[in-house]
Amino acid sequence: MHQLIKPVELEHEDLLMQVESLSYRYPDGTQALAGIDLQVRAGDRIALVGHNGSGKTTLVKQLCGLLQPDEGRVRYKGEQLSGEHLASARLEIGLLFQDPDDQLFGNSLYEDVAFGPRNQGLSEVDVDLAVRQALRSVGLEDLLFKPPHALSYGQKKRAALAGLLAMRPSLLILDEPTANLDPAQERIFLDLLKNYSGTLILISHDLIFLYELCERALVLDRARVHHDYALKELVEHRPSLREHGLDFSFRFAESRRREERVEVERRKVRDPSDGTGPAAENPSTLVDLRSLSYRYPDGTEALRGIDLAIQPGERLALVGENGAGKSTLLMCLLGILPFSGEYLFTGKKIMPGKGRLVWQQTGMVFQDCADQLVCPSCYDEVAFAPRQFGLDEAQIRIQVEMALKMVKLDGFDDRVPLHLSGGERKRLALASVLSLQPQLLILDEPTAGLDPQGEELLLDILSEIDATLILVSHDIFFVRELTERTLVMHAGQIALDYSTTDFFNDKNLTSLNGLDYTYRDQCALQIRALQHRHEHAHRHKHLHEHDHRHGELVHQHPHEHEHEHCHTYVHRHAEAGAHQHPAQSEYHEHEHPGHEQDDHDHSH
Amino acid sequence: MSGTLQVSILWLLPLLLLPLAVYSGFRMLIGIARKEQGEGERDWSVPQLEFEGGESSPVHRWDVRFKLASFLILAFVIVSLQHPQTALAALMLALLGYRLAAIPWRRGFKRLLGMAGFLSMFLLMLPLTAVRHSGDLVLVFGSIDWLGFNLRGLDLAILIILRAATVALLMEPLLATAPLPVTLAGLARMGVPRRLTELLLISHRYLYVFLHEARRMQIGMEVRGFRKSTSLATLRSVGNYVGMLFVRSFERTERVHAAMLARGYQGYWPQPISFNVMPADYLKAAALIGLGLLLVICDQFMVG
Repeated sequence: MHQLIKPVELEHEDLLMQVESLSYRYPDGTQALAGIDLQVRAGDRIALVGHNGSGKTTLVKQLCGLLQPDEGRVRYKGEQLSGEHLASARLEIGLLFQDPDDQLFGNSLYEDVAFGPRNQGLSEVDVDLAVRQALRSVGLEDLLFKPPHALSYGQKKRAALAGLLAMRPSLLILDEPTANLDPAQERIFLDLLKNYSGTLILISHDLIFLYELCERALVLDRARVHHDYALKELVEHRPSLREHGLDFSFRFAESRRREERVEVERRKVRDPSDGTGPAAENPSTLVDLRSLSYRYPDGTEALRGIDLAIQPGERLALVGENGAGKSTLLMCLLGILPFSGEYLFTGKKIMPGKGRLVWQQTGMVFQDCADQLVCPSCYDEVAFAPRQFGLDEAQIRIQVEMALKMVKLDGFDDRVPLHLSGGERKRLALASVLSLQPQLLILDEPTAGLDPQGEELLLDILSEIDATLILVSHDIFFVRELTERTLVMHAGQIALDYSTTDFFNDKNLTSLNGLDYTYRDQCALQIRALQHRHEHAHRHKHLHEHDHRHGELVHQHPHEHEHEHCHTYVHRHAEAGAHQHPAQSEYHEHEHPGHEQDDHDHSH
Repeated sequence: MSGTLQVSILWLLPLLLLPLAVYSGFRMLIGIARKEQGEGERDWSVPQLEFEGGESSPVHRWDVRFKLASFLILAFVIVSLQHPQTALAALMLALLGYRLAAIPWRRGFKRLLGMAGFLSMFLLMLPLTAVRHSGDLVLVFGSIDWLGFNLRGLDLAILIILRAATVALLMEPLLATAPLPVTLAGLARMGVPRRLTELLLISHRYLYVFLHEARRMQIGMEVRGFRKSTSLATLRSVGNYVGMLFVRSFERTERVHAAMLARGYQGYWPQPISFNVMPADYLKAAALIGLGLLLVICDQFMVG
């Protein structure tokens, strides 16, 4: 089944925004939008979804008048967005950019949040009130005068939202608002947006987040509106989700990886001397940290007495709230930061700030993969590390090809990294560290900014890599799939160190760091239950009454059919991964539109 | 005293180590000043300056326009001094002003340390390269008569260092005793084009973002084994790195501009900063400029 665009027809006076035959082409010739028709009514809550590059960001820029259409028109409150009307419309439309640093241009939070209200011409008393209220609503009232560069990522995201809320916008457009946020910060966004009474347009790959907030789905595909209907309908229709890269049902598949991990854990329980336990004393220990501490130059204590042993082949997850010290610990593990304490890597002592020995055997994929892509071609990028360590060109070629193949980028040798999509760049960054065949692979938020299709591919790739793994992630599904040991960091310390199974069964975790990791699983299950309405076909009988013709005789009476067709019924799954259908009676009644037109025969 | 003074070749060693000693001295001063560092997180719910405490000093209470004008005039006066003695007196005055502004020593010493590597080289380069004039006293080390250590060059080096250090120290009370937006608004009121002051304001904010980005990219290269050397490969890698930084900065500039427009920016930064001139502002300005004039007169008197 494939549902074509079905635009909602609205009365003119209800319209907040109207887009008519909008087309836009970038100066390099890329057709970003083509023939877009769209009507946004006051109070609409729209999920704007689609593949990377489908035109979502370009469309919202058009809605804010940041780009001017090549063809067509954009109207706000009935008037075309241009001149004076555009200037006043911008004061009523809030646009949240993906990277909060783009939006926080003030020298303190106060100055930044006050920027919009001052442009609105409010008096200083009203500006002060608006700023304080907005920052209070995002929980940053204690940091009014803090410079934005000194905020954590999550705080920056919230501050950027406060800058918009202070303007009391009638239309709020958010571009990937929850990317890279921990569950607690995501919850803050969710609550704020649920309480927001204006019109909302959300761009996100996070279907769970969208499902909580939006009623209408606008699906863009190759610069055009592909669907415009209720979000519930989109969510129910798995083929559409799959087509647009939004299907996350791989998260529910009973996975071989998980079974293997449970088996490894079972083995450990049976034989605790196998050397891979969390605190096992083992001469072959890969990483051994003793009382490792680090203090930032401003005096903030980032790590406090970390003791950690990692055995070769172990796959562990590092979780915790934003600012718990995870990234700092990774920097110390790489020997970048001047830590205090003792650090042994493969039994050799690593001096603070001198990590060359570690680098040769460790690969790290950064949260923002742009930080590690500096070369003009994919081949050079992947060959960068082997060249630095003096491998000969023939060997480098073999390793580059192997690494590119491993991340499913074979044939990308001459492509420019800057021109790749987000998912491809992430895989290229992975290839660029795999080319050294590292013993230890560190992944910092590998799923950040990826759509579900990209996540699924990355998961497949990562599960095939044979290396010791440290995974830093808020994505609990990846933690469950890829790791067998979990470290929970809190306030610069390893607060908990146990098996991943125990981590998932830990009911007290929320009270430690306020992060509810189960929330997303619950939402996903709800969505999954909806999706099953379309998935099953079975042979069945039903009785119905309709007009039908026998020769010249047209008459109507109830009659029974037996046939097979796709059949909608709702059933729930007891837990993630379980899939039992409820018992179906062979004979049951249901809607059968158009059946009277079908050819059929029956005894009479 | 003039002419050539024959000294033991062993004297060469301490003279060669002179720049290193000066640099180490600054590092030591930072170590001592580090003890001033406050513990724990600041209270960010109240307006902040660049450091804690001292908000009620006379320098803080000074109208920023008068402060800017006075300090800039004084800076020009100081760089015109011709004698190490008067330059030393200026340095003492700068230290006094620094103390009056209650700024942590660490900040000033850190600023000086940044310059120390470059300035301390003058202590070696100028005495060894200064052209011999009549009346110069030149130290010659044993039999190495082609290598003369000209004490006039040393005087000149000390003068340059003292002047530079004084001006650098003056910048702290000038810039750290008022929030940057206020200082820049003061500059705008003094006639500096508003576009330029707004550019400075935004540049200050994005300097941190740029530095973080550059540092992260550097780490990204280092952990993949990059080590600088004098090879073509290094040159290529550094070229790629700089190019990528440029591309990313350019893209960010466009995004920041779009974000500003989206929040109603119409060509100027709305900042309702008002200034209120008090008689004390005139007095402070007169006192500072008067001190500058006194230094110039003393300096001229020494020439006489």
